[in-house]
Amino acid sequence: MVSPAVAAAAARPLLKRARIPAIAWAVPLYGFLLLFILYPLFRLFIDAVQTEQGTFTLGHLKGFATDPFYRKALVNSLLVSVGTVTGTSILGFLAAFLLVRYEFPGRGVFSYLSIVPVIMPPLVGMMGLVFVLGRAGTVNVLLMDALGMVRPLNFIYGWHGVLLAMILHYFPLIMLSVVDSLGKIDASLEEAAEGVGSRGLRRVRDITLPLVAPGFISGATLVFILSFADFATPLVVGIQDLIASQAYLNIVQFVDRRLFKMGIVIGALMAVLAIVFLIIARRAIASREYAVVSYRTIERRPVRGLLRIAIPLYFSVILFVAFLPYLGVTMAAFGRAWSLTPFPTQFTLSHFNQVLHLTPDYLINTLFYSLVAVTIILAIGVPIGWVLARSTLPGRTLMDAVVTLVLALPGTAIGIAYIRAFHVPMPWIGVILTRLWIIMPLVLAVRRMPYTVRGTFASLLTVHRSMEESAASVGASGLRTFADITLPLIWRGVLAGALFSLMFALQEAAATILLVLPGWETMTVGIFTFYTSGTIGQAAALGFVLILLCAAMLYVVYRLTGARLGGLFGAGGG
Amino acid sequence: MQVRLTDVVKRFRTVEALTGVSLTISDGEFFTLLGPSGCGKTTTLRVIAGFYDPDSGTVFFDDVPMNGIPPAERGIGIVFQNYALWPHMTVFDNVAYGLRIQRTPAAAIATRVASALEQVGLKGLERRTPGQLSGGQQQRVAVARALVLNPRVLLLDEPLSNLDAKVRSRLRSEIRRLQQELRITTIYVTHDQEEALVLSDRIAVMDAGRVQQIGTPTDLYERPASLFVADFIGTNNFLSGTVVDSADGYARVRTAAGLIHGRVHGAVREGMPATAAIRPENVFLADGALQRESPAQADNRLSGRVILSQYMGSVLRYEVDTAGVVLRIDIHDPKRHRPMAPGTVVSFSFEPSATVIYPAGSQGGRDSAGREPSAEPPDLRAGRDSGSAEMSTAAGASA
Repeated sequence: MVSPAVAAAAARPLLKRARIPAIAWAVPLYGFLLLFILYPLFRLFIDAVQTEQGTFTLGHLKGFATDPFYRKALVNSLLVSVGTVTGTSILGFLAAFLLVRYEFPGRGVFSYLSIVPVIMPPLVGMMGLVFVLGRAGTVNVLLMDALGMVRPLNFIYGWHGVLLAMILHYFPLIMLSVVDSLGKIDASLEEAAEGVGSRGLRRVRDITLPLVAPGFISGATLVFILSFADFATPLVVGIQDLIASQAYLNIVQFVDRRLFKMGIVIGALMAVLAIVFLIIARRAIASREYAVVSYRTIERRPVRGLLRIAIPLYFSVILFVAFLPYLGVTMAAFGRAWSLTPFPTQFTLSHFNQVLHLTPDYLINTLFYSLVAVTIILAIGVPIGWVLARSTLPGRTLMDAVVTLVLALPGTAIGIAYIRAFHVPMPWIGVILTRLWIIMPLVLAVRRMPYTVRGTFASLLTVHRSMEESAASVGASGLRTFADITLPLIWRGVLAGALFSLMFALQEAAATILLVLPGWETMTVGIFTFYTSGTIGQAAALGFVLILLCAAMLYVVYRLTGARLGGLFGAGGG
Repeated sequence: MQVRLTDVVKRFRTVEALTGVSLTISDGEFFTLLGPSGCGKTTTLRVIAGFYDPDSGTVFFDDVPMNGIPPAERGIGIVFQNYALWPHMTVFDNVAYGLRIQRTPAAAIATRVASALEQVGLKGLERRTPGQLSGGQQQRVAVARALVLNPRVLLLDEPLSNLDAKVRSRLRSEIRRLQQELRITTIYVTHDQEEALVLSDRIAVMDAGRVQQIGTPTDLYERPASLFVADFIGTNNFLSGTVVDSADGYARVRTAAGLIHGRVHGAVREGMPATAAIRPENVFLADGALQRESPAQADNRLSGRVILSQYMGSVLRYEVDTAGVVLRIDIHDPKRHRPMAPGTVVSFSFEPSATVIYPAGSQGGRDSAGREPSAEPPDLRAGRDSGSAEMSTAAGASA
């Protein structure tokens, strides 16, 4: 029996609404990616193999390859990356295992605090490390006073300092990715092993590690690429013969055109290497990734006896060392005329008065550029996340690859690429982009977009299609469905991603430092300027404000997503 | 090997998952733990496997106490609901892993894995990885992996519940055949009563952390010890009322639908509330189209109005409204039956010997222990697990 109303409805054409074809609104997305990511990269690569006159040459590449200094720098960079991955893996794996598998006093606090180091601005961290562990830093002054030592101990200047700083900064990335993978292992997989007699370390080796491998590889790749691209940390502790540092130094000196060209070549090389690392990682992950549905996760085991003290102690020691730099920054930010004493003897707010009141431009510029960047990111990144999760648009795979690539591209390489691509008038509109302030938020948006894309993508995956389809079946339009069904279910993930984008935009120091023009200085530029000019108190005060901003944002993200931050990083997972 | 549990209690924080389970499973027996979700059947299996240690009580394997002995040293083979195949290993490696742990020589591993895979009909798939197998094949690998170590007892935790109906029924027969061949003591956990009836030598029906009844499939179906079992196994009609009189193991109960005469299970007295249970296949229509002779006596003759007919191939089921209560009546061999439209008034009857009268609230031990109610409401799980008719007047009236 069909009621008249139903019959009337059935008689109407089923899809009366004019539907915008997906490809139409995807054009701006493709356009953005093409113009602001692929084109500058293309320019960078072309520049590396062109003479000043615009003819093809392999001379620059040959010049790089035959220069023993650059060859050594390349080897050094690779070694630093390998060392960092090794160190972070040991710290991160252990931390992840303990956090996921065991219940011990302070677990919740440690799981939050262990994430903090990686979201801290590395530049501020390095500065703080010098305050605490430098030649005249807190520890050395204390030691000299207590033991009557004449010469300070060298804690950080040199390769060991680079490794120490990088390992403490990046270990949370490994931890997050391993936590994520460990949490997905179904309890029965390990129980089945236990049932046939595989226990303890044997079971970890044969069953657990292989299952964690994909997540671990994606985290390790990111650490490898990021430590490879880090130019600032080595420079602060006096190491210059690294690829990333050379790229930066060659570009920012505006004297020698040959060196400048070499900077471009190195920038291109770093981009190529990042792509190569990424491809290798993807291959390694693809062959190891298994679609495993977890029905029942493994329960945390309470620890007994000595471990109840040893485990919290492990976290406390790592976190204490990891947080030392920020203590140093805080002391310097509030200390007056701090030198030759282990701790400041007098305190003042004058540094904050200087950087927040007298010259507030650093803070204002940073906030303004970052907020504009996040607006761009939301406009471009959320639709991209939707396209990746929901549509069957042609070129979707490429879109995914480009977004992942951005996460891996060194900031210096992007900065150099932007200088090369946009220092000439753009076709049709005739604007020289590098002379417009918009290039700052643009480069920030490009660099930090992946977090929002991933946040959106991951949240959309949790919203089953049928939920949207059932809304459509009761008559909700596409937009209405999105607003009433999809958005309430995904806004947390999108917001978390956007806040992550914002947080890393605030602390961007690589690409922007290369593009900055007078009047555009951001906080990181300010920190750099104050620090190198010796006004350390002001550098520290800016650094302290930046730390507060980042910590506050991480806290909000953590509340929004729980400890499942791993998905926002990761070089491999889709 | 014989498996025996004596008064096993298992708590999770404050919740008592098992409240004193005692069982004896004979050597070579196919024994099933059956019950709704949350009843404690999987917990019992995991206690037997050694993944959980009981808080009190003992597990014996051939009179040797097993408490505290790790799973691998108990001589068990276990098959999980989701197969739990290691995705990074091939089929061969999955099966061989336990043998490698035991440091079996490579040549022996090869022959034993080959014969285990042959037993489950998977010869030739050694090099595949679990991701390349269908659900049914994955479950066969899981069975081979459990059998290759020659366990003394095979434990299966809802092994078929993730498979589709056709594969499920085929694997069901194969598991039974394999068990018969190997004569291995097998403990099988399921919530599917049909699976339990088909497979088992004996079944323990569990609810709320305790065993409600242990018996052969015939025992459970024909002589359910409680309303819970009567409801959980098969489909049942329930009519509640007050006991009028009782004698010689039989009683009469006055219900809204009429006077019901039946066998008594438990103790009833005049004036006590009681519930009568009648299976749909034991109800006969007193209609021109009736299949068999209806019983001659005057008791158990009711009438009602057909509200729904369900054609299920071999069976035609009517739902009949009798004084606000919906009863199910099955017609076997529907070819010989002239279907009745909804609204038709019919009279029907059933034999006292096929009618079981339970004291009201006899849901096994549920009311005795004063424990926390389980996630399931303690009423008859009408129409959900077993498809029984809901008897409460309110629900009946709304039908």
